[in-house]
Amino acid sequence: MSGLDTREQAVESDAFLAASGVTMRFGDHVAVRDVTLGLARGQVVSIIGPSGAGKSTFLRCVNFLEIPTAGTIRVGGTSLTVGPGTRPREKDIQPLRRKLGMVFQNFNLFPHLTVLRNVSLAQERVLGRSPAEAEARSMSLLERVGLADKASAYPGRCSGGQQQRVAIARALALDPAVMLFDEPTSALDPEVGAEVLAVMKELAGEGMTMLVVTHEMAFARDVSDRIVVMVDGAVVEAGEPHKVMSDPEHPRTRGFLSAVLGR
Amino acid sequence: MFQYTGYILAGVVGTVAITVAAFLIGAVLGVPLAVASRSAYRVVRWPAISVIEVFRSVPNLVWLFLVFFGLPEVGIRLGPWATAIITLGVTSSAYLAEIYRGGFSGLGQGQWLASKALGLTTWDRGRYVLAPQLARVVSPTMATYAISLLKESALASTIGVVELTFRGGLVAQRTGDGLTTFVVVGLVYLVLSLPLAYTSRRVDSRLRAKFSVG
Repeated sequence: MSGLDTREQAVESDAFLAASGVTMRFGDHVAVRDVTLGLARGQVVSIIGPSGAGKSTFLRCVNFLEIPTAGTIRVGGTSLTVGPGTRPREKDIQPLRRKLGMVFQNFNLFPHLTVLRNVSLAQERVLGRSPAEAEARSMSLLERVGLADKASAYPGRCSGGQQQRVAIARALALDPAVMLFDEPTSALDPEVGAEVLAVMKELAGEGMTMLVVTHEMAFARDVSDRIVVMVDGAVVEAGEPHKVMSDPEHPRTRGFLSAVLGR
Repeated sequence: MFQYTGYILAGVVGTVAITVAAFLIGAVLGVPLAVASRSAYRVVRWPAISVIEVFRSVPNLVWLFLVFFGLPEVGIRLGPWATAIITLGVTSSAYLAEIYRGGFSGLGQGQWLASKALGLTTWDRGRYVLAPQLARVVSPTMATYAISLLKESALASTIGVVELTFRGGLVAQRTGDGLTTFVVVGLVYLVLSLPLAYTSRRVDSRLRAKFSVG
């Protein structure tokens, strides 16, 4: 089965981000079922699949916002394994989390801080940068996402697309090795989502390693190096975008694609 | 009757003292109560919620009588001032805990997740992300509560605390002019609560103009 292929890729030594055997149970419900996948440095992988397939839960397991029931996550030389009876403490998780930036569906900017403070806060508190250093870095990132003029505005005064671009800048400000995107355009109108996708495309072009949960089939097809299909908490298929999109092997993938692409 | 105005006004000190002291006790005790009532552990959460509900369901006047007239029977004897401050302080903790709880749930999980993902420590998350937003969300409701507590403090007159209402009662008896006396007393309460209401409105709208929580 194709699930096995993905497992083999993950154990390849060139995998920069490797998730193996990640399982997340909520009581009797298994939200994520033994998911194994790997990303080489600079690779962009999109996770697609029907709603409720456990894609977002899996992504949250990668940076331990949800503590998986079992599994190992490795980024570069930093890894963390959990299993029954081992619950990692905050300080065990921290080294891994520092290598991962995350962008959420609902942006989750801090509404009581200006755009600039949103991007600077964690640089000062987590990386220990001086306020001046942090501000300089924030401004250069805001410029990069086209929002330098919004630096002193509060998030409530920004459109959804602008907020999401600020959220991307906020995550990038900590110099993550890998960026995780959790349906970054699902809360946006299509034309606004396009601004966000453009920023993501640019990032991918610059060689950022990215793991993206998305419903944007065009983005998944055009920007990612690989597509992973999740159904009912498990990876049912993984491969090159064109292969998965045009000639899917798994019946569930075929069903999902025909539903979203309307064919 | 107006020669007694000064005597009535002197009651402001007592009324304000009871209100401020009870509010501070409630604001402090309310924090652990609110946190406990949201605990993931049933053995912590359940007692906290019960305490909140019991305090809120029985009238403050009954609590005052219970403490002032009831507790001496089991050997706990508190003076009128101590009874008023402690009783109103403890019941306030339940009301304020409920206000804090509402604030917590209004913030949503996203703020917590985002600040975690950024690698902020638990302390920093509380200090830079949660507390300022919580303060913004709960301060108008807390101000409203402070005003109602100011009025509740009049209950202390029933157990012999010489505050505003008690003094009004004495003056009314002495002069026989209950109408004028209690109009004056009422005006004093009004004057005390208006600045509180005004300040909280202003602070609220200023913060609202700056950013919207949501």
